[in-house]
Formats: sequence, structure tokens, C-alpha cells
Amino acid sequence: MEPSYKVVEEKTGRYLPVIYPEELPFWEGARKHEIILQRCNSCAKSWYPIGPACPHCFSMSFKWDRMSGRGTLHNYVVFHKPWTKWFESKVPYAVVQIQLEEGPRLTTNFLDCAVKDIKIGMPVEAVFEDITSDITLVQFRPGKK
Amino acid sequence: MTQVAQAMRDKTAVCGVGLTLGNFQDKSALALSVEAYDLALEDAGLERKDVDGLIQLSFGNDYDRFLEAVGTDVRYAYQGWSHGRFIAPMLQQAAMVVASGMAKAVAIVHGRRRRAFGQLADTEMWRQGLGPHGESPAYGAMGPVFGAAIAAQRYFHMYGGSGDDLAPIAMAFRKHAQLNPLACRTSPMTREDYLNSRWIVEPLRLFDCCQNNDGGACLIITSAERARDCKKPPVYISGMQGVHAGPQFHNLTLPGLGVAQQEVFNYRPQKEDLYAYQMAGVTQKDIDFLITYDAFSPLVLFGLERFGFCGPGEAKDFIKDGRIELGGELPINTSGGLLSEGHVVGWNLFIEAIRQLRHECGPRQVKDAEVCQYGSFLGETVIFRR
Ligand SMILES: [Zn+2]
Repeated sequence: MEPSYKVVEEKTGRYLPVIYPEELPFWEGARKHEIILQRCNSCAKSWYPIGPACPHCFSMSFKWDRMSGRGTLHNYVVFHKPWTKWFESKVPYAVVQIQLEEGPRLTTNFLDCAVKDIKIGMPVEAVFEDITSDITLVQFRPGKK
Repeated sequence: MTQVAQAMRDKTAVCGVGLTLGNFQDKSALALSVEAYDLALEDAGLERKDVDGLIQLSFGNDYDRFLEAVGTDVRYAYQGWSHGRFIAPMLQQAAMVVASGMAKAVAIVHGRRRRAFGQLADTEMWRQGLGPHGESPAYGAMGPVFGAAIAAQRYFHMYGGSGDDLAPIAMAFRKHAQLNPLACRTSPMTREDYLNSRWIVEPLRLFDCCQNNDGGACLIITSAERARDCKKPPVYISGMQGVHAGPQFHNLTLPGLGVAQQEVFNYRPQKEDLYAYQMAGVTQKDIDFLITYDAFSPLVLFGLERFGFCGPGEAKDFIKDGRIELGGELPINTSGGLLSEGHVVGWNLFIEAIRQLRHECGPRQVKDAEVCQYGSFLGETVIFRR
């Protein structure tokens, strides 16, 4: 996989994530339908957003580690205003912040759930959305108790 | 506790202000900034040769183009990043530049066209590790409003209430705007109007969001001594404190709300978090009116709790029953604020503080106003007195 600086897919108008060089293991993991984040070799904690050092103990030594994909729904909002034409058929859609059981929180969408049924604290599990031939988004949906 | 330098108290002052707000399709950002500068010089009774420092934020034109346009060389110039959280630091920088003698008078100038070539607001969202308000466009998490909405949601989750509880903020500021001849949005707003305004990012509605407009703003800062020789009464800069930043201070939220990677706890400011009062020699009780950054209405709740005007979760009730309106316990954003007066990167908020403390606000004048605090949710503040 290569870094990607394209912000929009011309054909569909869908916004894409910019993939910075040091984030490649995360995006390669997502492609394989796994959540891969950094884990500190010194204090064993994980973190997000992806960065060059452990923000907990400032060690520069880390490995890329697979997260369980389980967590809780920590926060959410519902977008009603479509920012671009592409979003017109998507609204209303939820943007959620998921607390992974390993600690970090990810900002994603919430699939397979009506927006009115979203509740803070509900258990969630990861689901993967292949959006281009190279890029997969980590997403979440309701999980088992 | 950290000892703050009281040597800065009342050593510098705002001596001139200029502001235009509206829809100026035939003017460039440069023209709007030059016009605001001219208004501020006139207000202060100064000439351009009296100004030897310039600070600009980077929407619109650059600092050197401005100076070329007004035909002035200065010995102190700085250009910063245009976000509302950086206006207080820019004003503080101007005060420190004057106090240290690096310049005698610093003009802070800004001109803005809301839809103009070269604005950064959209591309910022693709920054590495989320945008400046937590945006993530691939997930449809768009615009600054996302940051305010997701913080408001956590606030209501922790303390009860819902978006409906924000109505008194939008309504109070609209009432204030109706007394302000410069205000952009002055049509009456009832509670029903507020509740019927469309969702943008739930729990926030259209009337919880400011709208950008065109405009120009300028403030001139000089020494207290020189300000006393200017045309208008000086408004002294008495105390200040900086933007608090880091993982616990995510933009558009309050510590403890658990936005992004923030911890979850009930935030109560400690003495350390309130050093501006020590610098100014005042307490919250001395503040005659509060000016706070209100690009989105929940930010007003966060500003009130950040400075201890209200305890954790109490601001949503404090704002009711006219307490934040003119004549209330603590009038807030007496010009109408960003929600109803308009938005020139927030500089118009400071200009209202100055005009109120000069007692030149006519029907919206805060009676006997002596002390004003500009204070916002990230902790940045400037305390002014007449
Ligand atoms: Zn560590």
C-alpha cells in the first residue's frame, strides 16, 4: 500500500481519507478487516490518533498490534445537513466516537442501526467498509452484550 | 501556584477600534482590512505614522500586502493562524509587544470575505489525525459544527438536558443584536422559531450556529500613558491568560466531557486555571458583563463553566430566565455575539467589550460597566477595565 493524498474520488464524489506514510500499517490492517493500532513497548498502552511516540510515557518504541474490535459507543451526533452532493442520499447519518476496550477512541460511522436507536454506552463491534479498490474504512455496528 | 506578573496590569490599553460587518461583494478582504484600519485610526485620533506594529491573522490578505497598501513600514509584524481561539493570544501579544517597548502602538487588522479564494477552512479537515475541530471527512464528520455538536452531546449525556436547552442563548443574543445597528441578524426569534429551525448536526440546529459574513475589524493597542492622550477614553488590559491546550483540552469542548481522547470527569476550575483574575486583581463577582466565543451556542455553557461562573452542568439552567440578557445577572455577548451580530474571526467580540467600557453602546449599554471579561472555553481570556 502507498500513501494517498487524494481527498475525493472523482467518479462518485465520495470523500476519501488522506493516508499519511506513518499510518500505512493501520490502513493495510483495515484492508484485511482488522483494527491495527500502535502499542507501546514500554507501558503496553495503545493510542489514537496514530503518532510517532507513545503519548502516555513518551517512548518511541512501539509495535503494531491487533485490537479486539469490541468497544462501547461513547458519543454520537447525527448529520442532517449534507455537506456535498454525495452526502445527500446519506443524511441523516451518525458519526460516533467509539471507546475501544483497549482504551483509544475512534471517530467513525455507525452501520446497521437506525439513528433513533443509537444509545451512548451500547456495546459495539467493528465492521469494515471497502470504499475503493485500495481503501477500507473501519466502522462499527451494534455488538453483543 | 504559578506566580503571574502583575506588572502587566493596566499597563496597556485599547485606544482605537474599527468594525464593518455585512455583505460586501464588491470589496476584497484587503479593502475591508484597510477600511477597518482607517476607522480605528480615526476612532483613536491617531495617524498611520503613529502605528509601528501590525498583527494579522491569515484569512484574506497577508501582513506585507496590507502594509504595502497603507504605505507604512513597521518594526514589529506578525501573522498568525486564523481560528477564533487565537484572537485572545493575538491581543495579548500586542499588549506584550507594547509593554516590552518593541512597538509603541500595534494594530490588529483583519479583513474577510466569506467566500473568497485561498481560504483554508476546508482543506484543514484532512490533517493528519483529525481536523482542527475533530473533523474526519471520509466519515462525513464535517466542519467546525461537528466539534461543537459532539461536545454538546456529551454535556447533555453527563448532566441531562437536550439541544432544546440551548434556546435561551440564541434568543438572548438575537435580542441584543436588535439593539445593535451593525448587527447582521436582527429578525425576532421566538422559542418556537428556535425549535423549528432545522437540524444541522443534531443536537445542534441552524440557530445554534453562527453564519459567516464579510467584514473588517481593527483594534489598536498602545501604552496606558499614550492611550490617555487619544481621542476616546482608554480601555485597559488588566489581566490575561492563554489558550489551554493538550489532550484534555480538545477544541470546542470543556475538559472532562470525554470528547475524542479526553478523560471523563466533572470539570471545576482550580486557582491555577484562573490566573487572569489574579493578574487583574478582580474576581468573577467584579465582572459586569462577559464576552465569550459563541460560534456555536453550547460554547457559551462551556465558557461559563470554564471560569467557574457556574458549577459542572449548571450553566444550562443559569442561562435561563434572562440571566444572560441585558439587565440580567451576567449579560453575555451584548452585541449579539457571533450568533447574531456577525463574525470577523471573533474580533468583533473584543470591539464590543471596548465600546461597552467606553459607555458608547446606546440602548444596549450595560449600566455603569467597569470591568469586562473576554473568556472562552479553552481558558483564554482578557480582562478589560475602563
Ligand atoms: Zn508508553
